[in-house]
Amino acid sequence: MNRPVRAIALFAALLLTPMASTAYAQGYPNKPIRLVVPYSPGGVVDYIGRTLAQSLTETMGQAVVAENRPGAGGILGTDTVARSLPDGYSVVIMDPAIVINPTLQPSMPYDLFKQLEIVSIVSSSPLVLVVAPDLPVKNFAELAAYGKANPGKLNFASAGIGTTPHLSGEMLKQRTGADAMHIPYKGIAASYTDMMSGKIQFSFSSIAGALPFTKDNRVKAIATTGAKRNSVYPDLPTVLESGASGFEVDLWLGIFAPAGLPADVRDKLSGALTTVLAKPDLKTAFAKVGAEPRGTTPAEAATILKREYEKWKTVIVEGKIKKDD
Amino acid sequence: MDVFSNIALGFHVALSLQNIGYCFIGVLLGTVVGVLPGIGPVTTVAMLLPISFTLTPESALIMLAGIYYGAQYGGSTTAILVNIPGEASSVVTTIDGHKMAGLGRAGPALGIAAIGSFFAGCTSTLLISFAAPPLAAVALKFGPSEYFSLMVCGLIAAIVLARGSVVKAIAMVVIGLLLGIAGTDINSGIRRFTFDFRGLADGIEFVALSMGIYGLADVAYNLQKTEEKAGLVHEIGRIWPSWADLKLSTPSILRGTALGSILGVLPGGGALLAAFAAYTLEKKVAKPPRHFGEGDIRGVAAPEAANNAGAQTSFIPMLTLGIPSNPTMALMIGALMIHGISPGPGVMNERPEMFWGIIASMWIGNLMLVILNLPLVGLWVKLLSVPYRLLFPAIIVFCCIGTYAVNRNPFDMYVMAFAAVFGYLCLKLDCEPAPLILGFVLGPMMEENLRRTLLLSRGDVSILVTEPISLGFLIISALLLLVVAAPFIRRKREEALRE
Repeated sequence: MNRPVRAIALFAALLLTPMASTAYAQGYPNKPIRLVVPYSPGGVVDYIGRTLAQSLTETMGQAVVAENRPGAGGILGTDTVARSLPDGYSVVIMDPAIVINPTLQPSMPYDLFKQLEIVSIVSSSPLVLVVAPDLPVKNFAELAAYGKANPGKLNFASAGIGTTPHLSGEMLKQRTGADAMHIPYKGIAASYTDMMSGKIQFSFSSIAGALPFTKDNRVKAIATTGAKRNSVYPDLPTVLESGASGFEVDLWLGIFAPAGLPADVRDKLSGALTTVLAKPDLKTAFAKVGAEPRGTTPAEAATILKREYEKWKTVIVEGKIKKDD
Repeated sequence: MDVFSNIALGFHVALSLQNIGYCFIGVLLGTVVGVLPGIGPVTTVAMLLPISFTLTPESALIMLAGIYYGAQYGGSTTAILVNIPGEASSVVTTIDGHKMAGLGRAGPALGIAAIGSFFAGCTSTLLISFAAPPLAAVALKFGPSEYFSLMVCGLIAAIVLARGSVVKAIAMVVIGLLLGIAGTDINSGIRRFTFDFRGLADGIEFVALSMGIYGLADVAYNLQKTEEKAGLVHEIGRIWPSWADLKLSTPSILRGTALGSILGVLPGGGALLAAFAAYTLEKKVAKPPRHFGEGDIRGVAAPEAANNAGAQTSFIPMLTLGIPSNPTMALMIGALMIHGISPGPGVMNERPEMFWGIIASMWIGNLMLVILNLPLVGLWVKLLSVPYRLLFPAIIVFCCIGTYAVNRNPFDMYVMAFAAVFGYLCLKLDCEPAPLILGFVLGPMMEENLRRTLLLSRGDVSILVTEPISLGFLIISALLLLVVAAPFIRRKREEALRE
């Protein structure tokens, strides 16, 4: 049913292409830039996206407008940008789901590596491993040992099939041989009631989601999953520190544009991102949801993207996790 | 005694000139977005979130909360006037509210909705101040099995609620359940009944469905009536509810408030269940003569009181546990986090000025709303004197904009168009759409919780009857079923005996 629409869009795109290329010669940006947030308002991606849009507007001298296009785990919003003109006026902010989805779902509307290109990784934040208050474990190693010694006893919550909290739990099972049952929720916040009452034993949660519950020890935080310790939980060891080599989960956010961005536009965009990401007020704003600003070059970002794609692909294939048919 | 000093502290915060201002902005915006179909409190709160970062946490929360409960007031307006429920919880209001408008009693309907909401808002706020911690403890007792049984109870209540044929009501609930199942299954990630439309990956959009079934179908129905020259001219009638109306509605408002306050505490569909439950209860216990479904003012008073009470008490799990009971509350938790406040049991002690300030502002906000809304009633009612040939294109345009605005997904427009045709058929076949909406909203939650229960119990079904709260709801469900079945069985027996 979409086919005729797509054909018309393609035709229109072809017609517009020469006009568009003269447009950037006059200096990008000369009209508002659309930053698609492919999730509903209120989450971390939305917050970072909006904060970034505000700062970019000040730096670039053009309005950068954050636009929520939620649906299908980020695929719908990403797809609208994948099908836009590569002129730098349509970009999307996405989390690791963008590299997870292609392995998880055989039928994707776009090809990540052919139709999109990454401009920059803008932020990093680890997940935090939280356990039920009465679970007799104090660190990652003890949790893994408990899971091995007590098969059928552990349940872990996630924000749904194929989300980073789910795949992190799978990674724990695969790397340590612990047994645990995956219990999906609609968003990690919904799982905390069940964790407080001891029905759920652990989860890899976003920092923003965990903070209200770990602050007064209604659930126990035992580790963070980053390369180094996080400023929100400076006393918590990383999973790497507890000896699980290569067990690193980063809830990074990247800015993507349709593939084929002219070099000068790409440089200008990534330059503007690097400038705003170095600002102290942005660092403070990001820290509130446990994220740290990054601002990589497009080349560095592409390397990270590929590595992340491979990492999650291994977990998904080994765990035989599937979505769609 | 402590509570009173706390309340005094709250009013001290809420009555500062600045906070009164933000409270007013909040309730005004809330009323506006409540009236405009499609643009709900979630969108508005999300848009205002960045602005709220620059305010103090008290002012920010007071304003955002105002939007939320203000929208509950506004939502009933469209439900009554043009049969478009602004939110799921005002679906029930359309049943008698829109009928009243058709009888030229839109004014009293709007008036009683505002008065009922005001009373419920004030009472439930009082409840929050005295009983927030124990009530929050109740919410914590609700695990997946308890939710499942509660939803079963809600659906059976939907059948009891329907006017007319029980068989039709069951059919509508089942259709609602089936529609609710469409989309990606949370447990397996498999797409069900999406027919390869990516627009259906997240299921059918509620706003698209309700705008189609209620708003557009009603337009089609009215237009057909014009052709038959069946008196479409709405008489305006009196604008204010009479003393008799008020006297008749008072017990209903009280019952609605009580039910709404309790159910609102539960995360997930609390306010919606509250409105449906209140209506069901009225149908069974209100003093005869009962004209439910034909424009009985009590059918507006009770659910409106219930959904406003529910909206208010849904702050309890948010403020005291940090658990969001609906998407708007999730946004507010986000707003608090940005201000460096982690909602949870500590908030009352660590930030008493904020906690009590918000509660006090709810009283002030409810008062503002009633002052704001009662004069507006006259204005809204005048809207009905606009000739329908001018009014209906506007309704269609609003439905389209509202539906598109939710996800900016054109696919939702097709869903709405399809729902409109279906809704028109329902009207023609005299099938009440309210049970369908309840099935649609509760079905997915029910399935999610049942499967979660079974995952956690490793497939043992008996957990549903060994958990006391869950068992309690199942017993109530069984009793409700008996209520429906009893007259039917008696009739059958009489028939049998006669032979």
